[in-house]
Amino acid sequence: MHPMALFPAFVAPLQSGLVPDGGRDEIFRAIFVVFLVLGTIVGVVVIGYMLYNGYKFRDRGDRDGEDGIDRPELGELPEGGGGGRKLALSLLLSALIVITLITWTYFALVDVETRAVENDDTLNIQVEGYQFGWEFIYPNGNTSDTLRVPEDRTVRLTVTSRDVFHNFGIPAFKMKTDALPGQTTDTWFQPNETGTYQAQCFELCGAGHSAMNANVSVMEPEAYEQWYANTTSDDAASGNATGTTAATAGNATTANNGTTPA
Amino acid sequence: MTDSSEPAPDGGYAGATDELPAATDEGGHATTESHGLPPYGSVKRWFVTTNHKDVGILYTVTALFFLVFGGVLALLMRVELFAPGASVLSAIGYNQTVSTHGLIMVFWFLSPFAFGFANYVVPLQIGAKDLAFPRLNALSYWLYLFSGLLLGVSFFQGGTFSGGWTMYAPLNIPTYTPSIGASTAILALVLFVASVTVSSVNFLTTMHRMRAEGLTMRRLPIFTWTILLTVWMMLFAFAALLAALMILSSDRLLGTTYFAVTSPGGSILWTHLFWFFGHPEVYIVFFPALGVMAETFQTFTGRRIVGRKWFIAAMVLVALQSFVVWMHHMFLTSINLQIKTLFMATTIGISLPFDLMVFSLIYTTIKGKVRFATPFLFTFGALILFIVGGITGVFLGAVVLDYQFRGTYWVVAHFHYVMVGGVTALIGGLYYWFPKMTGKMYDEFLGKVHFVLYFIGFNLLYFPMFVAWETPRRVFEYPEALTVWHQLATVGGFILGASFLVMFYNLTRSLVDGEAATGNPWAYSTTAEWAIPSPPPLENFPGVPSYRSGSLDFLGGSGATDGGEVTDGGAVVARDGQAHETGTQAAHAGEPESHASIWPFVLSVGAFFVFLGLSGLQEGSFVPGLAGDVYLALALVGGTITMGSFVGFGLEHFHAPTGPFGESWPFEAVENTKLGVWIFLASDVVLFGAFIGTYVFVRISAGWTGWELVPGDPIPGLMNTYLLLTSSFTVILALVAAEKKSRWGVIASLTTTILLGIGFLVNKGLEWNHLFHEGIAISSNVRTSTFFLTTGLHAAHVVSGLVIAVYLLARAWRGAYLDDERPIEYFGLYWHFVDIVWLFLFPLFYIL
Repeated sequence: MHPMALFPAFVAPLQSGLVPDGGRDEIFRAIFVVFLVLGTIVGVVVIGYMLYNGYKFRDRGDRDGEDGIDRPELGELPEGGGGGRKLALSLLLSALIVITLITWTYFALVDVETRAVENDDTLNIQVEGYQFGWEFIYPNGNTSDTLRVPEDRTVRLTVTSRDVFHNFGIPAFKMKTDALPGQTTDTWFQPNETGTYQAQCFELCGAGHSAMNANVSVMEPEAYEQWYANTTSDDAASGNATGTTAATAGNATTANNGTTPA
Repeated sequence: MTDSSEPAPDGGYAGATDELPAATDEGGHATTESHGLPPYGSVKRWFVTTNHKDVGILYTVTALFFLVFGGVLALLMRVELFAPGASVLSAIGYNQTVSTHGLIMVFWFLSPFAFGFANYVVPLQIGAKDLAFPRLNALSYWLYLFSGLLLGVSFFQGGTFSGGWTMYAPLNIPTYTPSIGASTAILALVLFVASVTVSSVNFLTTMHRMRAEGLTMRRLPIFTWTILLTVWMMLFAFAALLAALMILSSDRLLGTTYFAVTSPGGSILWTHLFWFFGHPEVYIVFFPALGVMAETFQTFTGRRIVGRKWFIAAMVLVALQSFVVWMHHMFLTSINLQIKTLFMATTIGISLPFDLMVFSLIYTTIKGKVRFATPFLFTFGALILFIVGGITGVFLGAVVLDYQFRGTYWVVAHFHYVMVGGVTALIGGLYYWFPKMTGKMYDEFLGKVHFVLYFIGFNLLYFPMFVAWETPRRVFEYPEALTVWHQLATVGGFILGASFLVMFYNLTRSLVDGEAATGNPWAYSTTAEWAIPSPPPLENFPGVPSYRSGSLDFLGGSGATDGGEVTDGGAVVARDGQAHETGTQAAHAGEPESHASIWPFVLSVGAFFVFLGLSGLQEGSFVPGLAGDVYLALALVGGTITMGSFVGFGLEHFHAPTGPFGESWPFEAVENTKLGVWIFLASDVVLFGAFIGTYVFVRISAGWTGWELVPGDPIPGLMNTYLLLTSSFTVILALVAAEKKSRWGVIASLTTTILLGIGFLVNKGLEWNHLFHEGIAISSNVRTSTFFLTTGLHAAHVVSGLVIAVYLLARAWRGAYLDDERPIEYFGLYWHFVDIVWLFLFPLFYIL
């Protein structure tokens, strides 16, 4: 079932401009900045208030005199304690901030999860993690240890692992998904600037984890087409091997971290 | 404030004076008031003690040792991270360091440190003489210590576990982490969980059953409340972890294939099992810190906590919700958007009660007389750190952001702000209770120096991690541009580490020649531990503590507490009228009560060797060569010691605290031992629940209908069902016979029960043997793995039951249980439970 089918109410705000749009990196940055600014404000206010109270009500010894305040005594039974209303108000305020913020990002989540479907022109590439590297399998069966993609086109990745639990991420495109043996996860990204980037493993996977990287090359569309046309599946050996692995993963569940299963 | 340590002139209260804290036990009344314990100065005392205060000190000191252990590992990492690339550690060495740092800090430091205080303070706060089962308490400690030592040994067995503290599958199986030490580390965790389970049963029984008169649940001090909720969470969460670890151990030692790459859904199975434990664990380690904060905020501001009942309600809510948020650790696995949405909502839901608690603490300072003594500096600082940790946690609650933060230093920084923020509060607790535990005052100036260094070091260590958040976790390679932040963090790490040197110097020095502490060194403290001398006498209280009058009195004793709170000398009222003696030796009135037992220690030594021996197993057999023989010998020797100490335990004359107790809601009618059995069974329900859940998960992943049942023939299973059902019936007959005082009836019924149990095992043995002959082995595939391991776990329960039944029979032969049939009743509870479990296993594994 299409996940959006359950969330028709969320479609409207997606088009209203309220929710950040664009590539995953832009969405991430927009939300991150808002969180950072609000988080800093809340933190400064709350901690500042705490410090202010700590200073204002510091014990000044005899200078305080008798303040007539009922202080706790040894051996007394604790009471329920007042202040319920003040606490409730504070809670309400903080809950309001948190819930609105999270709800707002939820629209972006739904957007990220459904984006790839809206574009038929996606490029599908399979990714297989192994100790300790990545292999990219193109629709024509060609395999490569560098992820080559054209600029300005949505790339959809179907990620799995041949051995242990890995996690495939390209920090520059704010894209990440788990690579699980026997299962596949899907994700997407949209590179909009040519250049060389780095993909990394984000889950501890053994001795070579620290260096489990792969190059990601974002090419001019023409250059990419040229490169792609020249590739063949003549490295059939590895192609077949990966085919078998993919078949093992066949009846496993498929899910999406940033896009939708086909 | 006055000095509260007025020694009682007559007996019943071993009057410790402030000047001579240890004099009590060295004096002439060693036989009556020392409870059979050697004096403090004697090394032997620490091996045989079962007193909650001694055990509390042992926990605290041992936990601090593991703090240093884990801290040194952390500094090793920080040195490695001073510049990108490998320097001091090998790649696998780095992974081992990362893994054991996490395991040690989370398991062997954080909770045990808190439980040092819990052991020492909770019985005092609730007005109990000791925990319900003092020997089990000592056992918890020794199992904890030896599990930690076992982890230490694992470093020398070809390298310890290197798959991270989360132990993700399938990196956690021998295919990818083949060293024997890796198995030992997992077994060390199993032993640790055993310690936690014993401790949970003990604390829950104590806190529910043994409170002073007038101390109802809602009037419990907040620290006690946090421990109560922590222990409830522990009981269930650690049972799930035990299931996960047993399955993992079985994969590592016996060759089952739950987590093998070929196993359907093995990776995800582990994440479910681990995080179902792992998220409650976050609150398990944090709640005690919250309790310390609440206590010290009240004491050092001189204000009662604002909205106390809402604070408690918020914690109860968190404790419940903690079991429904685990999948937020799995947002990038193959779970779908609907589940992500649900878990995003529960995650936000669980963060809100914490907002309330934070506000409650802040508002408590208003109109206070705030004194920034060392304990309060630490807990006040802890609240600041927790606020930062909480705000950065909200970032992770937004799934779109979480996608990117997953596996990065944002997570590392966030949870260190929260967890080490909790440690900060616990350090405050150490300074707060140090005078109580030692009778000596720490040096205030050095305490403040410690705090300043600590707070600077902490923030210098963890804050740059937020800035350098794009660094992947658990790597030693990172972009050059981030070098400066990692260098700052390394410097901060060393400052943080150095601050502890100040603390250790301060506390050791104070212990030797510190100023004597009064019974209550803090103005405005309210809880009962401050109403008695520092350190408290072995008996704790000068009389029976009671809150009947609305505040703390000690009834029956002649000792007065401070400030003229003189007891009214009233008689102790046996409220619930069930003055049962839990010990069987109550009749020996003239015999001095002994509270010394060496068996908890010996038993733990035995368990240590058993587990060390088992670590030599691979694929169901010991490693080849001499090493294998040594491992086998270790296991056998350990097993003998363990069995011997069980017998020693059973035969020893030992006095557990007996009633009547003041408040026992909601278990007035359930005697201590019975409640202990019930609580243990509750954790066993979770254990089997996790095993059955695992089976269902694996079977669904593999395709439910295509799943072939392992036993081709359901008849042996059916026979066993009848055998077990009948044996449950004969246990009831034994109970009835005991009530009718029929010795032969008891003997005959118990014998029949044992024979039926043996019949069950023989029948199962024949069935398994038949399967083995058909070439069906435990390691054949995931179907056979689930069958043999789950029914095998059940069979192990049957075996344990039979061992107890044989013990009961031996005693029944000599005429026991005719006056007191409760042991038979409690054995029956266990036996019926094992029976009921089979009623679930039989259809699942033989029919469906």
